[in-house]
Amino acid sequence: MSKVLITGMGAISPLGIGRQATFESSLEGRCAVTAAPPEISRWLPNLLVAPCACPDALLDARCAGLDRATRFALVAAQEAVEEAGLGAHPADARRIGVYVGIGFGGAQTVDALYTRFQENVAQGSRNPAIVHPLSVPRMMANSAAAMVSMKYGLHGPSHTYSVACASSAIAIGEAYRAIRGGYIDAAVVIGTEAMLTPGAMMAWNALRVMAKPDASDISRSCRPFSLNRSGFVLGEGAAAIVLESEARATARKQAALGELCGYGCSSDAEHLTAPSSAEQVVAMRQALDEAGLEPADIGYLNAHGTATDAGDVVETQSIRSVFGEAASRLPVSSTKSMHGHLIGASGILEFVISVMAMNQGALPPTATLDNPDPRCDLDFIPLTARRGCDVQAVMSNSFAFGGSNACLIARRVES
Amino acid sequence: MLEEIVKNYLVESKGKDPVLFDTPDLQVSALGLDSLDMVEMLFEIEDRCGFQLPDPMRYMQMSFADMLADIEAAIREHNNGELPELKL
Repeated sequence: MSKVLITGMGAISPLGIGRQATFESSLEGRCAVTAAPPEISRWLPNLLVAPCACPDALLDARCAGLDRATRFALVAAQEAVEEAGLGAHPADARRIGVYVGIGFGGAQTVDALYTRFQENVAQGSRNPAIVHPLSVPRMMANSAAAMVSMKYGLHGPSHTYSVACASSAIAIGEAYRAIRGGYIDAAVVIGTEAMLTPGAMMAWNALRVMAKPDASDISRSCRPFSLNRSGFVLGEGAAAIVLESEARATARKQAALGELCGYGCSSDAEHLTAPSSAEQVVAMRQALDEAGLEPADIGYLNAHGTATDAGDVVETQSIRSVFGEAASRLPVSSTKSMHGHLIGASGILEFVISVMAMNQGALPPTATLDNPDPRCDLDFIPLTARRGCDVQAVMSNSFAFGGSNACLIARRVES
Repeated sequence: MLEEIVKNYLVESKGKDPVLFDTPDLQVSALGLDSLDMVEMLFEIEDRCGFQLPDPMRYMQMSFADMLADIEAAIREHNNGELPELKL
């Protein structure tokens, strides 16, 4: 089976435009959490969000009508594709796929459509039934995959995975398997999400999982693994990676940023939202087995760490089960403390951060962890980044509503 | 007014060359629009006039001027013979 190399990465996140800006902010412990905009706070005054810069300035004006998630996807893909030197319309385009993860495809388009309908009904001056004819192609979940495959002329599979919080981790894993299995030679993998809209936020609020504002510093309201955690904060944005078979990358002398070497996935088959440790453990063990690594070989773990009581405690137990003795020496952090939970984009954003942490030997912190929950007793890199670390391999966990678990492992590639 | 709305849309959103519209007897088929482009273009009018124009692909067989005349007639038919101000 072919080795799978990472040859390009990109991000547009609440922590910055571009993967470097995102990673640097994460090392600084900068938290991007803020109060929701007026159209949301009018109804939900305590709701928090982690918004991302508008992607429009980085795109062709003709992209303006696309769903916000698709626009984020195009920006992240552009950075990753440029770094990988992939170029548009490559000669082997049929051997290159586009794999996308998104949780709530078309959320912004759907919300805008309903808002317009309601406003026109209320005003009575316009026909509410007249809506934009591209509403469907803009709101369909595979809109981002379609736009990216069209932009770069990629004729391999263009697949979209909607697996809630694990969407883009699954997209990475499935692209990896397709390359390893010889079905394709390369893939542009993207995770994207944009649902900081009134309708979507009201739905999230109803679940009672949203963080409350921190009285002293609103930006530090998302507190994974803390005793005073109060839930998670939704973010938006996208990240992208280019995966390539070792043979393809070597043939064109393309430097690699790391090797994607392990993927595990499993389903709890137990509860719609509550996590369960047993299958998280299975996913992590699958990934380690596939990578041929021992727990002690992992030098950093980016936890799913959403800052819900159940999620944090169960993940801590799962990590202890898998890592055993090595758990006490394993640095773990939840970067969601800074960039919030990007749902469909979170898996890939955190994977990009993990690979950068590995290559730079600098581990981003759990930036808000000043009051640890004793039930979460791992080394969660509290408050400040740790630099000068020798990291040979990293793990990134994504555990979704619906009980889908995904675990990814990357290791260093010596240049 | 109608002509300006359609022309502006085709130039600004679809990247058509403004010179194209100086062509005498310009045919809609010469604009290089597919069916999705066509419904998108008509939405610029429908959004302002509040009803859906029927059978959009029939415009492909018309000249640009005839298409505009047909759209204007449809708008007048919905407005007791008047052409209302087409604003958003």
